[in-house]
Amino acid sequence: MSLKSNEGRSKQIALCLLLIILILIVAPLTGLVKQYHLHLLIMAGVNTILAISFLMLIAVGRITIGAAAFWGIGAYTSALVVTNLHISYWLALPMAGILTGIIALPVGAIILRTPGMAFVVLTMVVNMVFVETIGHVELLGGWVGLIDIPRPDPIPIPFFGTLKFGGKIPYYYLMLFLLTLTVVVFCALYQSRIGRAWRAIKLNERLAQTLGINVWKYRLLAFVVGSIFAGLIGSFFAHYFQSLEPKQFTVFKSVYIQIYGILGGLDFYIAGGAIGSVIMTFLPELLRGIAEYEPIFSGILLIMLVVFFPGGIMSLAHAGFVAENVALIIKTLKTLPLLNNLRKKG
Amino acid sequence: MAIGLFVECFINGLQMGMLIVLMACGLVLVLGITKIFNFAHGEFYMFGAYITFYFSYSLFKFNYGISLFFSALGAGLLGWLSYLAVFQRIRGSLLLCAAATIGMSMAFRQGALLGFGTTEKGMPSVFPGLINIAGYTFPREKIVAIALGLLALLLLFYVLKMTKVGKAMRAVSLDAETASLQGVNVNWIYGLTVAAGCALAGVAGGIMAPILAVTPHMGHRSLLLVLIVLLVGGLESLLGAILAGIGIGMVMSFGFQFFGGISEMIVFIIIGLFLISKPGGILGRVVEV
Repeated sequence: MSLKSNEGRSKQIALCLLLIILILIVAPLTGLVKQYHLHLLIMAGVNTILAISFLMLIAVGRITIGAAAFWGIGAYTSALVVTNLHISYWLALPMAGILTGIIALPVGAIILRTPGMAFVVLTMVVNMVFVETIGHVELLGGWVGLIDIPRPDPIPIPFFGTLKFGGKIPYYYLMLFLLTLTVVVFCALYQSRIGRAWRAIKLNERLAQTLGINVWKYRLLAFVVGSIFAGLIGSFFAHYFQSLEPKQFTVFKSVYIQIYGILGGLDFYIAGGAIGSVIMTFLPELLRGIAEYEPIFSGILLIMLVVFFPGGIMSLAHAGFVAENVALIIKTLKTLPLLNNLRKKG
Repeated sequence: MAIGLFVECFINGLQMGMLIVLMACGLVLVLGITKIFNFAHGEFYMFGAYITFYFSYSLFKFNYGISLFFSALGAGLLGWLSYLAVFQRIRGSLLLCAAATIGMSMAFRQGALLGFGTTEKGMPSVFPGLINIAGYTFPREKIVAIALGLLALLLLFYVLKMTKVGKAMRAVSLDAETASLQGVNVNWIYGLTVAAGCALAGVAGGIMAPILAVTPHMGHRSLLLVLIVLLVGGLESLLGAILAGIGIGMVMSFGFQFFGGISEMIVFIIIGLFLISKPGGILGRVVEV
C-alpha cells in the first residue's frame, strides 16, 4: 500500500516540477517580468547550481567552505581565455568546466585524505590561496580584477534564428539550460550505483569500507563533479557580469553557499539547494535599505537555523509531515469529548 | 649584519608565534574538552583588542594591566554567553559547529564594523623604547608582549594541571559521564572552558592592540593561521599547538624577510603537503568527528 501511495506522490511531484519548469520557461516571454527581477532570477539560478554542487559533498559526508574557489577558477579561466586567445565563448564554457575539474582533481586528492575537521579548514585554505593568488598575480587581473569581458557570441539555433546576447532574456535561457543540465546529471548520479555508494558512505563510513567501497575515490568523484559544475556556472557568471574581481570569490561567498544549503535542507540535495538559494537571493534585496546590517541578519539567521531548525525548509515540506500532523490533530479532537465527559463526571 | 637581522627575525617570529599560540591554545582547550570547533574564535580576539584600545587609551586611560584584565573578562563573558545561547545546543556535531560559529563570526564582525567604525585604530606603544640584551637592541614592546604571552600560557597550564577546576576539566574531556558521576557539574565545566578559551583569545587581542592596528577584520585574518597551526600541531594537543605556533611564527617571519608577500602561500602549500603524510599533525592522532 505504501508503495502505491509513493507512486502517487512521485507523480504529483513530477507534475509540480513540470509546472514550475513551464512557468520558468514562459515567464520572461510574457513581458510581465521586469529586467531587475530577471537579473535576480538569473543570480538565483547561479546560486542554485553552487548550492547543489556544495550539497554533493554533504551527500558524501564532508563539509566544504571552499566552493567559491572553484566557481572563481571557472570564471577566471573562461574570461582569460576569451579575452586573450579570442576564441568563441561556446568553446570556453566547456573548457572552464574541464579545467576546473583538472585543478579540482589533485587538490581534492590531497585534501580528501584528511579527517573531517581538517578538511573543512583545508577547503577554507584553498579558497584563501585562490583569492591571494589572483590578487597577487598581475597577469590574472590582480586586486583590480578583469573588466570588459565580452558577451557570448551570437549562436544560430535551428528553427529559431540567431540568438544574440543583447538583453537579459538570452542569458536567462542559457542559465536555465545549464541549470537543467546540472540537475539532470546530478539526479542521474544520485540514482545510480555511485549515488548508492555515496549514501552508504554518508550513513557509515567504516561500514561502507567493509562493503568494498573505496571511500576516498567516491568522495573524490563527488568533489570533482561538484567542482566541474561550479566552474561551468562560473564561466556563465563571468560573461554575464562582464567584470570579475577577487573579492567576489572569498570565503564569505562560500559561507553564503553553505547558508543556501542549510536553509533549504541538507538532506534534499537538489530541491533544498534550489529553495534555499532562491530565498537567500531575493531576501537580501528586501533589506536593501539597511544593506550594512545584512551580514548580521544572515549570520543570526544561520545560527537560528542551525540551533532551532537543522532540517531546513524542505523538511517541513516532507511528504509525511502534513499527514502526520493532520492525524495528530484528529486524534486530539477525538479525545476532547472524552475529556469533557470526564470533567462532567468529576 | 647578518646576525643582527637573524636575531630581529627571530624576535619577530617569537612574538608572532606567541600571538598564534595564545589563540590556538584557547581553541584547542575548547575543542579538546567540549568538542566544539569555534570558527568565531578570531572575533573574540578582535573584541579583546577593542576593549584594551578603549580602556587603556581612547576612553578611560586605565593602566595597561587592568585593561588586559578587562579584555580577558569581556571576551570570557561574551564566550560564556555564546555558550549558553549557541554552543550548548550544537556540541559534538562538526556540521552544526561549522555553520553556527561561522554565522556568529559574520554577525560579530559586521557588528564591530558598525559599532566601532571601519577606520583602523592605533594606540601608542605602552612600552616605548629599546632594550639591550647581550649586545643587541630590541623594541621593548615586543619583549613585553612575549613575556605577557608566556605568563598567560603558564597561568593556563597552572589552572589545568594544579587546580581542582583543571582536574575536573581534564576528567570531563576524558569521559563526561563518568566525571558527572564523581560530582562534576559537566555543563558548568563546559561553559567555564569556553569562557576560558575565549578569555585567552581576548588576552591575545589585548597584548597585540598596541603593536598592530585594531580593525574589525583582524580576528578573521589571524584565524586562518591559527587553524593551520591547529592542524599541524594536532587538534587536541596543547603542546603540539605551542610547538607548531612558534614554528609557523618563525617560518612566516623569516619567509617574509627573504621572499616577501608570497611567503604566506608557500607556507600554506608546504603545510598541505605535510598534512598528507601526517593527517593527525605533529603530536596528535587522527580525530574523527
